Amino acid sequence: MSEKEFEPNIIAFTCTWCGYPSANLAGVNKIPYPANVKIIRVMCSGTVDPAMVLEAIENGADGVIIIGCLIDNCHYVSGNKKAEERMERLKKLFDIVGLDSRRIRTEWINASERVRFAKTMNEFVQQIREIGPAPRMPKLVKEALTNEKIQKEVKRLIEDTGAFDCVECGKCTTVCPVAKYDTEFAPRTIVIRSMEGLVENLANDKDIWTCSTCEICNSMCPYKVDYSGFIQGMRAQARQLGNYPICSQGGLIQSFMRFMANADLPQKRLEWMTDDLKISDKGDVFYFVGCIPHFDAIFGDREELGLNKIPQSAVKLMNAAGITPVVSNSEVCCGHDLIWTGDEEDFLKLMDKNLKLIKESGAKKVVFSCPECLRTFNMDYQDFAGDLEFELVHLSDYLLNLINEGKLKFPEGTGKLSATYHDSCRLGRHSKIYDSPRDLIKAAGINLTEMQNIKDKASCCGVSAWMSCNSTAMRLQMERMQEAKSTGADCLLTFCPKCQIHLSCAISKELPIDKEKVDIPTKDMVVALAELLESK
Amino acid sequence: MTDDTSKGNEGEAIGVFLCGCKGEISKFLDLDAIKDLISRVPKVKSIGIHEALCSREGQEYLKEEMKKHAFDRVVVGACSPNIQGIIVGKALEESGLNKYLFEQVNIREQCAWVHPEKEIATRKALALVNGGIHRVQMLTAMEDIPISILPAALIIGGGVAGMQAALDIARAGFKVHLVERTKELGGRAYKLSMTFPTHNCGICCMQYCKECVFTPKIEDVLQEKNIDIMLNSEIEDIEGGFGNRHVKVNTPEGAKEFDVGTIIIATGSKTFDPKRIPELKYGHPDVLTTVELEQLIVKEREKGTGVKRPSDGKTPKTIDFIQCVGSRDKTKGNLHCSLVCCTYAIGQARELKKLIPDADVYIHYIDLRGPYRGFEEFYDAAKQEGIQFVRGRVSDVSAKDGKLSVRAEDTDAGTLLGIDSDLVVLSVGQEPAEGSDKIVKMLHIQTDIDKFMKDINPMFPPELRRGIYVIGCAQGPKGIRYSVDDARTAAAEAIRIMHDGKVMMPRITARSDEYKCRGCGRCVETCEYEAISLVDDGKGGRIAKVDEIRCEGCGACAAACCNKAMILAGYAIPQVRETVKGVLEEVPP
Repeated sequence: MSEKEFEPNIIAFTCTWCGYPSANLAGVNKIPYPANVKIIRVMCSGTVDPAMVLEAIENGADGVIIIGCLIDNCHYVSGNKKAEERMERLKKLFDIVGLDSRRIRTEWINASERVRFAKTMNEFVQQIREIGPAPRMPKLVKEALTNEKIQKEVKRLIEDTGAFDCVECGKCTTVCPVAKYDTEFAPRTIVIRSMEGLVENLANDKDIWTCSTCEICNSMCPYKVDYSGFIQGMRAQARQLGNYPICSQGGLIQSFMRFMANADLPQKRLEWMTDDLKISDKGDVFYFVGCIPHFDAIFGDREELGLNKIPQSAVKLMNAAGITPVVSNSEVCCGHDLIWTGDEEDFLKLMDKNLKLIKESGAKKVVFSCPECLRTFNMDYQDFAGDLEFELVHLSDYLLNLINEGKLKFPEGTGKLSATYHDSCRLGRHSKIYDSPRDLIKAAGINLTEMQNIKDKASCCGVSAWMSCNSTAMRLQMERMQEAKSTGADCLLTFCPKCQIHLSCAISKELPIDKEKVDIPTKDMVVALAELLESK
Repeated sequence: MTDDTSKGNEGEAIGVFLCGCKGEISKFLDLDAIKDLISRVPKVKSIGIHEALCSREGQEYLKEEMKKHAFDRVVVGACSPNIQGIIVGKALEESGLNKYLFEQVNIREQCAWVHPEKEIATRKALALVNGGIHRVQMLTAMEDIPISILPAALIIGGGVAGMQAALDIARAGFKVHLVERTKELGGRAYKLSMTFPTHNCGICCMQYCKECVFTPKIEDVLQEKNIDIMLNSEIEDIEGGFGNRHVKVNTPEGAKEFDVGTIIIATGSKTFDPKRIPELKYGHPDVLTTVELEQLIVKEREKGTGVKRPSDGKTPKTIDFIQCVGSRDKTKGNLHCSLVCCTYAIGQARELKKLIPDADVYIHYIDLRGPYRGFEEFYDAAKQEGIQFVRGRVSDVSAKDGKLSVRAEDTDAGTLLGIDSDLVVLSVGQEPAEGSDKIVKMLHIQTDIDKFMKDINPMFPPELRRGIYVIGCAQGPKGIRYSVDDARTAAAEAIRIMHDGKVMMPRITARSDEYKCRGCGRCVETCEYEAISLVDDGKGGRIAKVDEIRCEGCGACAAACCNKAMILAGYAIPQVRETVKGVLEEVPP
């Protein structure tokens, strides 16, 4: 391609009934349009999955246009309306990540509107020409993996995680939430199989992706085997062998993370900010927001989530204690979901970006509301990058400290909210923070009723790192929600936005059991605290 | 690269065929260059160029090549698969290739004909063919779904179209359930005093009828034993899928339920309500619609009292017909031409002129449209008889002291007219019948911009219509003859599939992957066809199950599924991904 003018690659997804025929008619009538447009026929515009659009960009497209029947005249009743809603959410996400939502366009063109088809294509190509090329992902150069290399790596993993000490007592399997429903799954056998060191085993093992990495096995193992660490390492190996997990949303979420890792994009991740909140560019305290703005766009159809309230509330609480935290638009995803899906390479790129950013801000302390970000910095970043120069603190500890210092006060007599508290695995078992959230709940005047399984024995929300969200996960969610509901509390509080997303998702649609048994709202702890602070 | 467990199928011997389309493609694309480059793509066993793959010779050529190379996947670069793809696919199928392992790439309409620069067009065609090669490797062999067709038909609407279809189907020996919402059969045609082009009878049972050209006889329908007629009845609900639908009808005798294999929709149209154009003063006793004028003429015929205007019973001496009332009017949502109004207005004008020879009869029109054989002669006769045609849309009808005045421009003469009129006749256009929206919803029928129902193009394979046929004015304004034509062709196909008792349906349907499905029910919620249900998974949970007869293959469920457990055959994420990759890849690598 010449350097003079950029010629974009455009993928046009056309429906079978209107989009594709309108292109045919343009052809029959010899109405020219730019050859940049390559048409991919789908049954309906509603067939187009957001993941297909993002993958097209990942694979070299600079713009994607979806063409379906006129609104209200869809051959499949409402496919185009569904497509429009989905694409609106995807566009929002494109803007947050910095991919530019103008790269996506939806058009509703009747089969007979050949001129409009050609005109639209001309316009879109011109628009993408002006926007410029989409970021390109580096081509992966695969190292030749030999049995020897794998065996060496697995051996190292076995040693590092203490898996060698496993005496095959089976306690891990009895406490494992996945094994409870997936009878073929057992943490122990994954270790055993890997000791055989066979590439074929690793290349085909589905169990390493089924594990929810909740670490209840770690906490119960009499020999302190680090199963989840072992799983994390094995996943990186498996991925190199082409063994991939089943990712939620068609892998959309991880794809965005890869874009963040591989390109410097003009992000817009502070859209949640409101005028009353005080933040700064430089300072002692850095508030690491995490992926919440992305999730807010992806789950935009689930209004009950209100995810953007989480960072708003966190800043509100800090402001109330006289703290103006550093919040950065250049923050990238912590990489949790990449490393747990075996993508170490891109994880490291994200890590480098975040560490550089925090260093530049001059912060001495980084505060996290998200348990996953905390765990990733605390364990994975320090594993790969050595000891960090700044202090890592979870918001629960941070706020509790502010309360003890008298800087943050909740109004008297707020004790109207009754709640139960869900220990997310990343905050609890992974980071060993069990008491501060409970102390915080007390300090804020919330009536706490505990569930049956708490702290290191807390049940799992079913899903981690956006994968293997299957029927086992559904059962775990039902189980947890039943536990929560039976406390009689008004709501279930948790610090983890993903626990909130997963648990509330499970009860939002069709249920295998009586809705009465599980119907309890899940609420983010930070949001609940901020609301109490403002209540009179 | 997104993670997914679905991997491509083999596809070890791919055959690629490029069609020159007798110069239509080969003149605009460098097929030899494409052949040269594509031959370097792995797994492509052979590439052939033929000047017309859809010709008899071309099909023979395909068969010979198939025999020689035993391809397990085939990509054809030719015209739109919507046109000749069926023929080419059939030739391949006859040579033993599973039809789901074949992909036709459109290098004619999408390349040769729209990109004038040969090099650019060739490069794009190369990319599309490469995309096809990537795609076929992701396809799996499948079989069509056999669908049983019950030997009974439902006909909604007892107008001319519905009656004709009912007669044809019943006479072929199948049970017909004919549902009519009014109290009598015959529809609008029954109310007409005369029809084009004989300028005579409306329907046979009318006593003034002289001859009957093509309208079916109500009497015949009434006497046909295989037809169960339900008058004053409405469809309450229709459930089920292709070939087996359960129908609930509310009749005066109570609810009736039955099962049918085919459904013919002949709900017709209603006339435009002229109150929506206030300047035409509909509501004044001497401003009538053409339908009301018909009644006056019928009354005159029966009693022989002559045509009198309603306000004072006097014989009108100046009569103005106003055309396109509610048609060709974007502001009323009706861009369409109602097709029949020019013809019937001329007919009525001639009739009035015959009854009142000294009357001045004007027809105010924009364009005279009568795309029917005999129309020109009909129009010519009207002119001979002294009907005055004035080109220009009437802007206003005023009523002062009970006197009507019509204001319009004569655009041919360029003069403004103000005609004092005794009787104004509004040639009202047509809109979908009342209640047709309910049928549209029940049977998931695609509608057009003007809300009329779309019939699936009869050029498409019959299985795509799923045993549902939209005929007559339900499709849009139509003359009687054409409605009857519709009825007969639809009936012929319905009879054929009911006679065969079975139709093979392409397996472009959704299915759920039990391993991935978590039973959340998002797919159930999103499906317009109620094709998905949650069933017990035997382990205390639930999983989604698709009724593939009901599934129409839109893939909305697949896009809605968080876990991508729902897969639309042929359009799964990995299949689309590989196609896109192939299209965007530099060839040769």
